[in-house]
Amino acid sequence: MMKTKSVDLRILLLGFTFLCASVLSGFAQTETPPAASAPKTVTVPAVQEKKLSNGLTVAVVQRESSPLVTVQLLVKAGASAEPDDKAGLANLTADMLTKGTKTRSATQIAEDMEFLGGSIESGAGWNSSFVSVTVTPDKLEKAMGILADVVLNPAFKQEELDLLKSQTLDELTYNLKQPSFIANYVASKYSFGEHPAGGTPSSIPSITTADVLNFHSQNYRSPDSVLVFTGDITLDRAAALVDHAFGSWKPVSSANSSALIGNGAASNENKVVSRILVIGLPNSGQAAVNYYDHLSQVGRTSTVFYPATVGNTVLGGGYSARLNEEIRIKRGLSYGAGSSIGWRAGFGNFATSVQTKNPSAAEVAELTIAELKRLAETAVASDELIPRKSTLTGNFGRRLETTNGLAAAVGELYSFGISPNELNSYVSNVNAVTDAQIRDFASKNLLGGDLIIVGDYSVFKDDLAKRFPGMKIDVIKADDLDLSKPDLRK
Amino acid sequence: MRKVILTVLAGLTLSVAAVAQVKVAPLDIKERTLANGLKVVTLEDNSSPTVAIHVWYDVGSKNDPPGRNGFAHLFEHIMFKSTKNMKAEMMDRLTEDVGGYNNASTWDDFTNYYETIPSNYLETLIWAEADRMANLTVDQANFQSERAVVEEEFRQSVLSQPYGMFNEYIQQLSYTTHPYKRTTIGTLSDLDSATVTDVQKFHSTYYRPDNATLIVVGDFDQKQLDAWVDKYFGRIAKPSTTIPRVTATEPARTRESRFVKTAPNVPFPAVAITYLGPRSDDADIPALRVAEKILSEGDSSRLYQSLVYKQNIAQEATFEISDRVDGGTLEFTAVASQDGTPEKLEAALMAELKNIQTGGVTARELEKAKNLLITDIVRSRQNNDGKAIAIERAVAYQHDPRAVNSDIQKYQAVTAADVQRVMKKYFADNTRVVIYYLNATDNKTAAPAGNKTGGGK
Repeated sequence: MMKTKSVDLRILLLGFTFLCASVLSGFAQTETPPAASAPKTVTVPAVQEKKLSNGLTVAVVQRESSPLVTVQLLVKAGASAEPDDKAGLANLTADMLTKGTKTRSATQIAEDMEFLGGSIESGAGWNSSFVSVTVTPDKLEKAMGILADVVLNPAFKQEELDLLKSQTLDELTYNLKQPSFIANYVASKYSFGEHPAGGTPSSIPSITTADVLNFHSQNYRSPDSVLVFTGDITLDRAAALVDHAFGSWKPVSSANSSALIGNGAASNENKVVSRILVIGLPNSGQAAVNYYDHLSQVGRTSTVFYPATVGNTVLGGGYSARLNEEIRIKRGLSYGAGSSIGWRAGFGNFATSVQTKNPSAAEVAELTIAELKRLAETAVASDELIPRKSTLTGNFGRRLETTNGLAAAVGELYSFGISPNELNSYVSNVNAVTDAQIRDFASKNLLGGDLIIVGDYSVFKDDLAKRFPGMKIDVIKADDLDLSKPDLRK
Repeated sequence: MRKVILTVLAGLTLSVAAVAQVKVAPLDIKERTLANGLKVVTLEDNSSPTVAIHVWYDVGSKNDPPGRNGFAHLFEHIMFKSTKNMKAEMMDRLTEDVGGYNNASTWDDFTNYYETIPSNYLETLIWAEADRMANLTVDQANFQSERAVVEEEFRQSVLSQPYGMFNEYIQQLSYTTHPYKRTTIGTLSDLDSATVTDVQKFHSTYYRPDNATLIVVGDFDQKQLDAWVDKYFGRIAKPSTTIPRVTATEPARTRESRFVKTAPNVPFPAVAITYLGPRSDDADIPALRVAEKILSEGDSSRLYQSLVYKQNIAQEATFEISDRVDGGTLEFTAVASQDGTPEKLEAALMAELKNIQTGGVTARELEKAKNLLITDIVRSRQNNDGKAIAIERAVAYQHDPRAVNSDIQKYQAVTAADVQRVMKKYFADNTRVVIYYLNATDNKTAAPAGNKTGGGK
């Protein structure tokens, strides 16, 4: 169960470091930093693979530096396979796996797993679902037994579903008080034509044990699943463990894939911003100022994936990226500004995100839009492009340092049907991206999206109208939101 | 590098008996102290071409100057601005731009600055860290801009989070005397009062070699690293002034205190019940950590089973130790579900406390807690930065980097009787602070949220 804690009870004041290139004139340098020595090569471990007779794929990345193993079962169906009015079904199904099997109660599953020093986690993203455990190698065989039990023999009991639904609704109520969450929640429908993967206050109550049972039987199938092992384990041992624990998983003929194709709002590429939507959240401590654009032509399997990824990094991937430089470093308007792309196989969901004090919401919106235009219209010089590529490849390498991060990266490639060996070509693919490819991607895809601002509207109303003259500004109160209605209002 | 000692099972037998209990190899650290007082802890590991650097300073938000609540953290941000030899944000040029990263964090008791970089940049970063220890400069424009960033951080982490102020109140109301009663993020009005002169004074008072520990973990040659450290840090003079230390002690509590606090946009009531705990290097800490796991980790924990799973009155219920050098807090917290009330949460949390005090813990719970603690240690030390953090926390909380290698034995030695003893020792009804945190519109008589910390400008 992916337990997103509904309350963060520990505030670590990470001083989210620093960044950027504001050149101080008149700076007298008195000592030059010692230069770097010759770089060494980083090697990404190879992925070894074996297919079992029931169609299940076993993938292993062996690394013995720590006595630890992560096992992740990846199922190639996630929230995209659930109907809009059952939003949250994929996630509830994944959560329900650990809430009881034919022979173990929910409490026994937690008790057995935690006794091994680990925990069992499950959840669903847009493209896939997963169940995973991380334990020391001496505990692996027992952990595999529990993992297989929850995947193969879930009980899906009514009382467990009732409790989980009530917990999910409570968490949603909590999240719907936070400006950034609300912006993303609304954008999933308004800008991307999807639905919130975590569900809505109306979809969650409608989900029944029959829905969960159906989702499980249609989508949790051995031929479409991959068991990824990372850490202190060999392929032979992994295969033997899987044979023992998952050998009884019978291949079931593939059901028709019901994956939904995104139908995001049509972009009006003549304007930088097509629509402005404000969600009013009175007394909110800050405003979320986000921009969303559906990338209808560029998906994870597209040849433009790497230019899009590098372009996003220049714009908003990291401390020294343009959005953070302009909004935080130069102007002190936010604790952090960034951008991201939520990948689907055939398209992408692009978003920029910033939180700022309510009085500067409109200014931040204007700064964000200016940076989108600049990326689409102006060349990225190599003295900016090379460092930003290094940021991207450095982050990529660090993600692979833990067994969890490595398993997630391998699982992600499988979920898109991409060869796991792309792990080893990622760095060279990033480095091959040119400035012209980025500009081409940005000018064709990043303009004409939606500005969504969530905050105390009365504070920034006049300034917003002034900075975006002639634009219609649609306003909905947070308490009136209903994503199941065409106008998003209750 | 010392290889992790693991008795791997022979062949492919799946017999559990063939697998020995996991062994966690000690970190083979080297320690030395320069003539100017800088302590240096290093751990060579050439398995990947990266290196983690942590510069740990023995100054935290408990050292905020009077009327400058939040200053140590604001200062931490300024450390990324200009020095005599580096322009603002140059740390990013030397780390992020070459595939590394950097950050810093401010705690009640200490401040750390750290980076992970490709190892061919190690000399460059040793130079840079020494430079900002010795040669920080700051101008008015950079200072004001960064102060605005910190104020946005306050709004983001405290004001725009439904339970942001709850966390502030837990710490503020748990202490009456010790400067721990001021939180690290501080208040907007005090941040607004800070000046460039404050920055210069704070730097010269606390940022000096005899108040710091340099930790380097990863791919380096020990002799070469020692030479770089001598060259760049060794030339920094040790000031003749003494370093001011906090001498206040928090008096023992003699009666219960109760508070009702409110904030806007709070979806469900929350409750905190806090007690004063021991110093971070106290011998009772391992037994308290075991209790923390039994009460609070995972769905099999006692608090989850009782408040969340069986009674359905809470979305979340936790017990945790907030470690602080001069004495931390032991905190029970719960956030209500739709069916919960603060009164029900308080009663249920107290019932679980009484259970463990009177009934103790089972042998299986004890073993589970130890397994969880050992897995945590292994998981958190998978990379150079994780190992550097472990060493740094040993320095911060146990005043000895070698404590990084004795934690597991300390946990293994904890008995059920130890757990019951510490749960009786630190928890009494007349020493608790109870906080109810409610939505502002549900309790109009209470003070508006944030008034204590300035609210919005």
